[in-house]
Amino acid sequence: MNSSAHTRILALLCLTIGLGIFVYKTSSFQTPLTAEVQETVWDIELFIDFMARDEPVRVEAFIPGTAGGRQIAQEQFYNGAFGHRVVEGAALTEDGEVAPQNRLNRKSIWTYRYPNDRKILRYQGRITAQDGETPIAPFGKKAQANLLARIADDVKRQAFLVWSSDLQRQSADADSFAALVVEQIFSEQPSDEVLTLLKDLPPSTARLVLARNVLISQKIPARIANGVVLTGPMRQAQVQHWLEYAPDGVGLRYFPGEALDRFFAIWFGEKPLIQADGAYELSAQISLSPVVVSGEIAAAMSGLATAPLVSWLRFDRLPLTTQLVYGVLVTIPVGITLLVFLRQFIGVQTLGTFMPVLIGIAFRETALWNGIFLFSLLVGLGLAARFYLERLKLLLVPRLAVILIFVVICMAAISLAAAGSGQNIGLSISLFPMVIMTMTIERMSIVWEEYSAWDAIKQGMGSLIVAALSYLVMSNNQVEYLMFHFPELLFVLMGLCLLMGKYTGLRLSELIRFRALAKRS
Amino acid sequence: MLGTWLNLNKAGVIGLNRRNVAFINELNPRRRMRLVDDKTITKELAEKAGIPVPELYGVISNWYDMGSLRERLKQPGGLVIKPANGSQGNGILLISRPMASGSYQLANGRRTSFEDVQFHVNNIASGMYSLSGQPDKAMLEYRVRFDTVFDAISFKGVPDIRIIVVRGIPVAAMLRLPTAQSDGKANLHKGGVGVGLDLRSGETLTGMQNGAVVDIHPDTGNSLAGITVPHWDQMLTMAARAYDVTGLGYLGADIVLDKERGPLLLELNARPGLAIQVALRSGLGHILDAAMDADSQDKDAAQRVEMGQALAA
Repeated sequence: MNSSAHTRILALLCLTIGLGIFVYKTSSFQTPLTAEVQETVWDIELFIDFMARDEPVRVEAFIPGTAGGRQIAQEQFYNGAFGHRVVEGAALTEDGEVAPQNRLNRKSIWTYRYPNDRKILRYQGRITAQDGETPIAPFGKKAQANLLARIADDVKRQAFLVWSSDLQRQSADADSFAALVVEQIFSEQPSDEVLTLLKDLPPSTARLVLARNVLISQKIPARIANGVVLTGPMRQAQVQHWLEYAPDGVGLRYFPGEALDRFFAIWFGEKPLIQADGAYELSAQISLSPVVVSGEIAAAMSGLATAPLVSWLRFDRLPLTTQLVYGVLVTIPVGITLLVFLRQFIGVQTLGTFMPVLIGIAFRETALWNGIFLFSLLVGLGLAARFYLERLKLLLVPRLAVILIFVVICMAAISLAAAGSGQNIGLSISLFPMVIMTMTIERMSIVWEEYSAWDAIKQGMGSLIVAALSYLVMSNNQVEYLMFHFPELLFVLMGLCLLMGKYTGLRLSELIRFRALAKRS
Repeated sequence: MLGTWLNLNKAGVIGLNRRNVAFINELNPRRRMRLVDDKTITKELAEKAGIPVPELYGVISNWYDMGSLRERLKQPGGLVIKPANGSQGNGILLISRPMASGSYQLANGRRTSFEDVQFHVNNIASGMYSLSGQPDKAMLEYRVRFDTVFDAISFKGVPDIRIIVVRGIPVAAMLRLPTAQSDGKANLHKGGVGVGLDLRSGETLTGMQNGAVVDIHPDTGNSLAGITVPHWDQMLTMAARAYDVTGLGYLGADIVLDKERGPLLLELNARPGLAIQVALRSGLGHILDAAMDADSQDKDAAQRVEMGQALAA
């Protein structure tokens, strides 16, 4: 069997397998081919990772509470060998008494007597996003507490008294009092009393704690809510804090900084997310992913889960963090296939083989125009440095190292400059693959010298165009949806690449190259 | 656009895809590529088989060899320094003679210091010009005194002849001429002129430069056509024998014409380019297909040359 026939058979096999499973899934289970990403239902995962050293371990983590009619679907705990229980509401005590905010809280408690080595604990659940319209869970009756007694410092107690009675005088009712409290605490230049009271409180929640205390001292129910902002798939979500209070029995939220569109409160109070004994090098990570749920796909997915052949071919069986990784990973072959097409059929010249696709992946973090700007800027600066280094007549490997260090210096400088001006491109630039940038610069400068500036710019532009196109394809929602829910399409891509590997026709660029020959015949 | 595509296909014009899949992948086993990628090996094989090559003065691959560099550069007739694993003529330094001041005269008329030469050799050895970036060695070899036959149509440097050989059969040939733009190098990428050759007579036909067709040399202004390459049949035979030596079914043999020593095999290329089609103003597809079908296996080099000339007729 010659290699052409062999290739065709293999390609046909790939296409048949891929398309076969795809058609089977879409026709037998009516899996929809498109889905709008609904942004109301999200998967949340809490991933805890720590070292245990032969001593009893107790890890307590707040997990989304179910009080106030909240529904948490598809909850899963990964406990390993740990003993595990969930405690909620009134059963949660602190110093022997039930704190009012704990009415709404739920905790997962993991315990183990003699663990050793690295341990992983995991919680996963499906939540419904909250927004400005979501009613606030009712406050308990025991809202007031004798806060004055708790302030040990005389100066602080005095400041608190003076300030709160000032506020009381300046306000007409609970409503205007609460408004004043928020305004004064979160103002750009707080008064001296406020500054005194903020001292010694943990900086991230200090103002919220103070606001809550003042409100409660005036018998206005208030609490601190802690949760996450739901903006898009995220592997390491930051915990945000905000204030919930009810001056006239009507619940209000106050977000320090910008108001949040879509968020989810995980727990209430000022306790940290995780409290642990006997756990070292503890790290916790919250991952978020919007769930593609329509009635149709939910039904299809439950059908697929029991289907004999295809039930294992689903990424949603994996932990959320891994799912998020695969969500990106499975789109890369689409970008690679596009690159093959552009090189073999169009004849686009690029610097390096897969380099443009890797640059395209970096664009995910920077967004397109920022990415193109940063890429051009870094390559431009690097080329300038490379041409200067040419005069010093260095050996190859040290020269590459110098350019790499220069690239890192440029990246750091851009980040620092951008941080001053409040631009957020500074962060994303650090994700640019610097080794690839270095090789790009080196190749480009060699092409520049050996061929011409025009060739170098042409190949650089070619790389940039391929990077931009592959980014657009890889970040397309429809592509992401299809590749994630129909991973069998990877076989189809492989089949296509096999077929393209035997394409012997002219490239589009060669029509131009050999155009003189076409005229003669 | 479709019209262009159809016309080019009819003319048998082949692209890089077809060259790579149908010829290089098909006829050139990867383990044999090494024989031509490393020019010291090619030279050794050719010498053993009696194919004339430029004399090798020395090879520098490490710090120890570097110590003898100054000594080896003492060639009154000048010399060529080039990477053993280079490609497309990159990294080649032509020294026409050592100067009394201790510096060197380059073929392009410029002068260069010993340190510059040393830096260049160092770059070569560190792999700057090698195909895969692997450490390389620098070859020091005889600088060809080119025959005056091409004086009217070349600008400094050494003109060379590229012969495409398929399964041992020479199928197409072109003369490559240096220009002012190419800095004395017969390299088409750098603006050298390629002139198609009649495979039977060795007579120059039509030319190309920078991808476009030309009929006169851009620097001398003389017509490119009508010059006959001397020792033509000998050159074709040398190219055909390169197949026996390397076993590569698709190769380009680069031959230079020395004033005294006659044709010398400079190097072999396992991935010869396609610009020759523009120089010849005809596609290679038809003759390549014919050579693929021809029964060349039990024929000697001279017979295969005749086969190629018959196919080209």
